Amino acid sequence: MAQAIIKVENLSKTFISKERKKFLRPKKRTIEALKDVDLTIYDGEIFGLLGPNGAGKTTLIKCLTTLLIPSGGAAWVNGFDLLKEENMVRASLGCMLMGERGLYWKLTGRENLDYFGALYHVPKEKRVERITYLKELLKMGEFIDRTVETYSSGQKMIMAFAKSLINNAPILFLDEPTVTMDVHAARDLRRIVKQLNKEGHTIVYTTHQMYEAEELCDRVAIIDKGEIIALGTPTELKKSLNVKDAIELEGAIPKGVVQIIKEMPGVIEAAIKEEKRGTTTLGIMCENSRIILPKLMEVLLENEVQIEYIKPMDATLEDVFIVKTGRALSVDTAELAKEKDRGAGGLD
Amino acid sequence: MAGPIAGLGYYEKSARTSFGVFSSVLKARFRIVSRYKGALLMELFMPIVFAALPILLGVSIASGGVDVGQNWKDTTGTADFKAYMLIGSSTFMVVMLMTWLVGFWLRREMVSGTLESVWVSPAKKYLIIGGVTGYALIRAFVAFVLSFVLGSFVFGINLFQGNMLMAAMFILVGLLPLWGISFMFGALILRIKEADSIINLLQWVLSFFMGVFFPITVLPGFLRLIAQSFPPTWMTNGVRAALLDVSFFFETWYLDLAMILVFAAVFPLMGYGIFIATERRMKKTQGMGMY
Repeated sequence: MAQAIIKVENLSKTFISKERKKFLRPKKRTIEALKDVDLTIYDGEIFGLLGPNGAGKTTLIKCLTTLLIPSGGAAWVNGFDLLKEENMVRASLGCMLMGERGLYWKLTGRENLDYFGALYHVPKEKRVERITYLKELLKMGEFIDRTVETYSSGQKMIMAFAKSLINNAPILFLDEPTVTMDVHAARDLRRIVKQLNKEGHTIVYTTHQMYEAEELCDRVAIIDKGEIIALGTPTELKKSLNVKDAIELEGAIPKGVVQIIKEMPGVIEAAIKEEKRGTTTLGIMCENSRIILPKLMEVLLENEVQIEYIKPMDATLEDVFIVKTGRALSVDTAELAKEKDRGAGGLD
Repeated sequence: MAGPIAGLGYYEKSARTSFGVFSSVLKARFRIVSRYKGALLMELFMPIVFAALPILLGVSIASGGVDVGQNWKDTTGTADFKAYMLIGSSTFMVVMLMTWLVGFWLRREMVSGTLESVWVSPAKKYLIIGGVTGYALIRAFVAFVLSFVLGSFVFGINLFQGNMLMAAMFILVGLLPLWGISFMFGALILRIKEADSIINLLQWVLSFFMGVFFPITVLPGFLRLIAQSFPPTWMTNGVRAALLDVSFFFETWYLDLAMILVFAAVFPLMGYGIFIATERRMKKTQGMGMY
């Protein structure tokens, strides 16, 4: 059995947020971002952290990377106490947390890598050697010697990934590393992540793409509202649903229909997975799709649902999230992205 | 401390790699600024423009028949008011560069997102901030020398008067307490997450207390006390006293220099303490990346 390389015990984090209403005094509100989280990540595994934005995933990562001091509990990373041996914890990590934002745009890729290598106390000769290796590994080509400001989004993400590898740390924290990459680049990155894992690196990987988690992760934890609501291998989690069948339905679905479907006998859970230009994708978990399908069709026709397609599916990690929370991860994330677009969290 | 479970990769802490942190930060700052050439050029002219206003005012008053030089000598000890102003504005620029550059560095790192990348590394913060302030220090010293030479040429000031070596010593030693002040300023930026308004306010407060355009002896007692508790005031006066016939505060150069050395021992430690306390507070509340 592998050793616990990250151990988290009763970790909690509370924030005081101020709600401002016009000229009134701001009202203070306590937000529990993490609620007594217990977690063990073993040496040599790829561990997925799943959850919508605002679920506590980023707070957990920030605590484990020493960027935030937890309000309570304890944690050990690579055998070092998170609170008492901060610097050794940092020395054990390679982090890709801010995506392309963690780079200096006026420096070239090579200069960025050299700079961050120095901050990780990597001796000069090893930095030179490592940069040459990473250039080959990540197929960076000539762009490594251009200033980052001239890069495409995908190139910036590759450079940010390279930055996290510069110190050859035993533990890698990769926060949505493929988010702005094209399909080929994302596939390449996942291949490299697997390769790094085979070489012995422990990888903590966050993503909103369920197929990525299923493809890469040995185990995953689903976080919602500051708590770990599911933990296990993807297969274990899907089995734990006791769902034999899942149905995916796409079409124009009037309001209220989802609730009607939820209340149908034999339906375990139903939730909207995606809403795009008047078309809704609905995920339905049920005991037996053959029995439920005729009844479901009746309900859909009665409620004037315009169906584009309906098909039985294998349960996915997204379905695990739906059953555990009654919501779909993709919708939660999209709503948060819209809120951000409306101004929350933007530049002041 | 137990050993690492899975090794530490290429992490090798030694005096050499620690110096590598300091020098890499310093080099990176110079690399970045070298890609904004216009800013460096403007910096040379800033103290000249800043000093030109009172100098031209003095010249125009003098042309009205009043012996400006004599009046100025009675108050300050030197008749060379042009050199007095140029020294004042050049040292003021040194002070502002030291504080601005650190403040803007932090603010820019916050907004661009690199601050978290830097903070998540195992490098000691004093090495990182040391690199930034070291860069500010070199840039400020070079800018002082160049702008003083250029300003002397523009205003017809004798460049080779007084004890230049002593003046250089006052600047170099005077930069040390400024290091501490820049830490404090950095802490303030971390706390309020804004740089522009503080700089706008501070530059007038600083120029007032430093006696950029006037001797602080003309200030009322309590204001003079505040001014004299501020290290750059001693640096400015020391440079003036070394180059012109202005008196040292303690009448002798070594006592003035000793006073700056006391500041140099206290301010960096105090500044670093304040910075680390603020950083800890930020990590308890909202994190370093919030801006």
